[in-house]
Amino acid sequence: MADVMAESETDVAVIGGGPAGLHAALVLARGGLSVVLLDESDTLGGQYYKRRAEQLAAAFGDFRPRGTELIRQVRAAGVVCRTGTLVWGAEDAGRTLFTSDVHTGALGRLSTRATLAATGAYERSLPFPGWTLPGVVTPGFALHLATMDRVPVGSRVVLAGTGPFLLPVACALLEVGARIEALIELNHPYRPRASVIGGALRQPARLAEAARYLLTLARHGVRVEQGSRVLAAYGDTQVTAVDIGHEDGSVRRLETDALCVGFGFRPSTELPRLLGCRTEPDPTGTEQLPVVDADGATSVDGLYVAGDCAGIAGVHAAGVRGQLAAHAILRRLAPGRAPVRVAGLRRRARALDRFAALADRLYPMPATADIPDATQVCRCESVSAGEIRQAAATGWNDLHGTKAATRAGMGPCQGRECGHIVAALAGRGEAECFAARMPIRPLPMAATVEGQDVR
Amino acid sequence: MSTSPLPETVTVTIDGIPSQAWAGQSVTAALVTAGIWPLRRNPVDGRLRGPFCGMGVCLECEVTLNGRPGSRSCTAHVTDGMDIRTHTEPLPTVAHG
Repeated sequence: MADVMAESETDVAVIGGGPAGLHAALVLARGGLSVVLLDESDTLGGQYYKRRAEQLAAAFGDFRPRGTELIRQVRAAGVVCRTGTLVWGAEDAGRTLFTSDVHTGALGRLSTRATLAATGAYERSLPFPGWTLPGVVTPGFALHLATMDRVPVGSRVVLAGTGPFLLPVACALLEVGARIEALIELNHPYRPRASVIGGALRQPARLAEAARYLLTLARHGVRVEQGSRVLAAYGDTQVTAVDIGHEDGSVRRLETDALCVGFGFRPSTELPRLLGCRTEPDPTGTEQLPVVDADGATSVDGLYVAGDCAGIAGVHAAGVRGQLAAHAILRRLAPGRAPVRVAGLRRRARALDRFAALADRLYPMPATADIPDATQVCRCESVSAGEIRQAAATGWNDLHGTKAATRAGMGPCQGRECGHIVAALAGRGEAECFAARMPIRPLPMAATVEGQDVR
Repeated sequence: MSTSPLPETVTVTIDGIPSQAWAGQSVTAALVTAGIWPLRRNPVDGRLRGPFCGMGVCLECEVTLNGRPGSRSCTAHVTDGMDIRTHTEPLPTVAHG
């Protein structure tokens, strides 16, 4: 397995093969630099441009033809694509990356002249009683099953939470024959006040997208219930019922065989934080984002970030931000090249940022004060909200003390599911987050034991 | 796009019971199709857990695949003859709860 650590070198490493990483890698390779693109998954594309398996694509068609074309261009441009490879550590301002083969555990060390983190995001979950029951899943899980595997997550599905993402998930569920028992949106985004719509009118394409989804849902008789939320899920070995709370205080119980709940996305910032780059709280006040200039350069010289890991803004912004970071890296490493005008890209990035800010205003997060004490917050270590509040209330525990006292955030997911909740429950007003430490992704024990020469 | 023939099917066994899946499907898809949601028990409180995030983050969907324990079923794909084992039997000891 991992008895010899493979060493390699490149001009630029791009971590993450989603929209930001693919667009960046393409610009960098066409600019004449050697590029290694690393992704933990076995296929490029990330979450948005994810690939249907060949056998399923042959029968059901290509899920995202634009992603397929982008990946083809990236490969044709000579980018070295290392899929099935996770980056679990880094040092020297990101110029040394530690990797592991997902299938064999084989360790590697990659030396670079500049590094771009395009590590994307994962879904934001908020705990409620019963959320650890089998059959309670994220909307992303339901979307993956419906689009990649062509399997409905249930025959009767309740979809809830907040954010524009719930709409395409609902449509994908309908397409594979699931019945949507209820579509529950916490906020009131679909009859927005005039003041917020002003920002949206500058992005008519994005609005048209949402309108198309709403039309499809209406055709299937699915109504978005705004201002409602999931209070609790019930079941013995798996979820069978869910309580929905309405604004007037009434509660209704629905039978269901799958419950999907999500509250947008959390940026995956472990790598830039591990390397010590300066951060600031995101607009929701629950995450620490890397501080970047207009092109994605961080406070760590030679380390760039692009895409949702630099702040949730969606696929179009990720592509533009990836290109901007790539041009900045080209100016740095290949200064002899004729300069490329990036003013247009920067303008587009700013417009897309305004749209993201509008989404933040339309879909605000609920207060963590509402989470009942008995609710499990840390799924891995089975720690309740009450235990976390109690540990924080002693007065001498900050977030890290609370983690040490309760073990919340110490399980295999490394706080990716609960970190923002623990921080909110233990916090003293300012956004804190768990420290990023190596390994930033789970490694098989064999990799660390046999690869003695890791450090 | 082309949508004529259905994908080829493969046979997997889930806890010893044969089950059909389409080649290229995720292992979680095969489990969900077979109606199997609980996959393991949380080692701390002993309660049943099933797949949650679907993208390799939460590690709740770990099963044993062809004898390899701790395999994420959401990121693994089915192969013909694959042996899938869940771990829902009660734990001999739980830390608390």
